[in-house]
Amino acid sequence: MTKKAAFWIFLFGTLSSAALFLVLTWDMHRQVDVLSRADKLSDTVIAGKKSFEKHNCNDCHTILGFGGYYAPDLTRVVQRVGEDGVRYRIKHPELAFAASVRKMPQQHIPAAEIENLLAFFSWVGEIDNGDWPPQDSKKRLTRGEKRLVAMAGVSPGAAVFKSKGCMNCHALGGSGGSFGPALDTVGRTLSTEQIGQYIKEPKSVNPQALMPPQTDLTDRELEEVAKFLGNLK
Amino acid sequence: MEYRSQRIAHWYFRIALVLFVLQVMMGLWLAYNYTFTVPQEIVDVFPFATARAIHTNLLVLWMLLGFMGGTYYIVPEETGSEVYSPNLAWLQLIALVATGVIAIIGFLFGWTKGRPLLEIPPPLNYVVVIGALIFLFNIGMTMFKAKRWTVIQGVLLGGLVFLALLYLFGIPFYKNEVIDWYYWWWVIHLWVEGAWELVTGAIMAFVLLKLTGVERRVVEKWLYVEIGLFLFTGIAGTGHHYYWIGAPKYWLWIGGVFSALEPLPILLMVIDTMHHVKHRQTQIINPHTWTLAVGCAIFHFIGAGIWGFAHTLPQINYYTHGSQVTVSHGHLAFFGAYALLNLTVFYFAIPKLKGIEVYQPTRAKLGFWTMCSAMMLMGLTFGIAGVLQSYLERVLGMGYMTAQGHMRLWMGITLVLGVFFLAGVVVTVFDLLFMKPAVRRAE
Ligand code: HEC
Ligand code: HEC
Ligand code: HEM
Ligand code: HEM
Ligand SMILES: [Fe+2]
Repeated sequence: MTKKAAFWIFLFGTLSSAALFLVLTWDMHRQVDVLSRADKLSDTVIAGKKSFEKHNCNDCHTILGFGGYYAPDLTRVVQRVGEDGVRYRIKHPELAFAASVRKMPQQHIPAAEIENLLAFFSWVGEIDNGDWPPQDSKKRLTRGEKRLVAMAGVSPGAAVFKSKGCMNCHALGGSGGSFGPALDTVGRTLSTEQIGQYIKEPKSVNPQALMPPQTDLTDRELEEVAKFLGNLK
Repeated sequence: MEYRSQRIAHWYFRIALVLFVLQVMMGLWLAYNYTFTVPQEIVDVFPFATARAIHTNLLVLWMLLGFMGGTYYIVPEETGSEVYSPNLAWLQLIALVATGVIAIIGFLFGWTKGRPLLEIPPPLNYVVVIGALIFLFNIGMTMFKAKRWTVIQGVLLGGLVFLALLYLFGIPFYKNEVIDWYYWWWVIHLWVEGAWELVTGAIMAFVLLKLTGVERRVVEKWLYVEIGLFLFTGIAGTGHHYYWIGAPKYWLWIGGVFSALEPLPILLMVIDTMHHVKHRQTQIINPHTWTLAVGCAIFHFIGAGIWGFAHTLPQINYYTHGSQVTVSHGHLAFFGAYALLNLTVFYFAIPKLKGIEVYQPTRAKLGFWTMCSAMMLMGLTFGIAGVLQSYLERVLGMGYMTAQGHMRLWMGITLVLGVFFLAGVVVTVFDLLFMKPAVRRAE
């Protein structure tokens, strides 16, 4: 090969790749409004994004999978812990994570700013991004739910527990979240009825409860999960 | 050293070396945060986020200073003339270092743009841009005045201009998070897998040319093919970061296919380095400098080529994205490609700047092998933690913190390895700052 031929390889390689890339960038701009629901990109959401950047949250937390890996990904955080869950953790990280081995700074963020952050996270949570992250995928949960119910010996209550977000805060058998207590032996301290009541309206059993009311369970699901937990002794 | 103005490079190198030590010390603190519980009172004033910003910004700063110093060293020899204005080179060095120091003090007080790796806030961004413009002007004028064009010079200048242009995309505030990340990668990916590779290609070609005495025509031919392949695979390969950000779905194909080819030019670089070394026309004077050049090529291939390929296909990236697997790759690639490249240049140029013909390689070797083995092992421990995370959190669906509990042991081992790594860095930096000529054996 001559130096001249090498030069043409260089020129062709660079220009073809760059041309493809620029055309697709133009097309991305054409499609992104739909994919990201840009019509819902309100001033509150933008204020939330600014606040997220001002406090450098992104160097501990990933969002859409980018940033620091020191803390949970925030792409679907609203779906995972609920609006109240998000508010509470940002307002009082020193309490929310008091029992955790890893802490989040108390940055004294005003309530109005927390609402902006919440709006921002809610907006990000709706981006059509190929169903990432896998742990928060709705598709996977329903698949898992089906499998669990189909499996002999596993109670439907366990399936509800696994698929309705309880595991984000509670652990069973060593897996799950750490925001709430592990529930392996909850049946020793609470009856099935009390558990049912707790799930529906935590504050009615424990006025200081931090657990948000679990309102997206049907009556039957509530009954099954309470029965399942009540038997864990 | 043939030209007086090459001496400026020495200060770029010295400052880069000091920053390197500080960067690695901050890395240890990050690993400490993963291993032990840092109490709330400390987290409130010096959170992980701030430390990470310092770790990564020092990294970029010292490497860019190294590249610039390298350029000021190379360009006079390539053009056969003095640098256009040594005063501008000084001014630019002071401006960039001052910006870096102010930025890092600013981070400590919460003054940040809050975008990972690009935390430097807007007013300082403009100082960086001005510094870069002065640099490009100075280098460009040196080349234009000399009117002696070589391919190495052209690629070097092209890479540096590309590098500076890309930086601009990281400055604005984007309202839409998707578009924000889209252009964030124009800086991060197109830097390390585009512009920086051009600079690397040019610098490596220069060093090999001088070390081996292989014909310029041959070196430059390889250089064209390599950078052609780098840019062909690397530009469209940016798509491997667009899988899960809300960009159109065809990126899974484009990003997957092009980035899967990215290891090829790196492999080619290993082959051509070996080839030149084998067909050398000159005698080996400082064997350690050769070890560094070959080591850099191989480590570059492991960290960027193999480790990059391992998680670049969307089917795998779906589970590993944004986990410690990414960190494992980030460390091996940055160290293998750019830390070792800079060290190669330092070991090539500093003896000449000090008028030492043959340097005493004992400390240099100790430092090099300690760093390389510790970093390779760190890549493995970060990697094990990352695979555990991908499996426990993403496949089994365990809670984030529960999965982190299972990874803690490996982060702890990383911390211990990091101490060894730091020791290697300190030995190397000390050796470069206070280099000694070889003691002549009694004849
Ligand atoms: C020093 C690093 C750090 C910074 C900075 C930080 N966080 Fe956190 N954050 C954490 C850690 C660690 C956790 C998880 C602790 C646990 O679950 O035990 C967490 C948890 C959260 C959660 C709950 C996530 C879940 O899935 O349970 C939210 C919401 C959150 N942080 C929001 C924020 C916001 C908003 C900011 C910026 C204002 C921020 N964080 C800044 C470390 C940080
Ligand atoms: C946002 C986090 C969160 C979610 C989601 C959550 N919980 Fe809780 N839960 C808590 C916390 C925190 C507590 C500890 C007491 C308190 O502060 O409310 C708790 C307490 C409980 C208790 C009482 C335990 C005791 O020993 O007193 C039960 C039972 C319970 N949760 C069941 C559930 C079930 C069933 C679900 C799913 C349908 C669920 N939780 C979802 C956070 C959560
Ligand atoms: C003692 C040695 C080191 C230790 C213990 C260390 C540790 C760490 C840790 C814990 C992180 C944070 C990752 C996260 O967000 O969770 C990090 C980030 C990073 N470090 Fe280091 N580091 C060290 C040396 C280095 C060196 C020598 C380089 C480059 C040559 C480097 C480059 C990086 C990069 C690029 C990131 C960002 C990674 C990413 O975004 O994926 N580090 N380091
Ligand atoms: C010397 C060259 C390279 C360097 C310095 C480098 C460095 C990095 C860094 C620091 C990150 C993390 C960025 C972040 O999210 O904070 C990253 C991500 C990534 N790199 Fe590289 N890289 C190089 C080459 C490559 C190559 C050649 C490939 C593919 C073959 C590759 C594949 C990837 C992928 C797929 C990711 C995304 C990981 C994720 O999804 O979280 N890299 N790289
Ligand atoms: Fe990349």
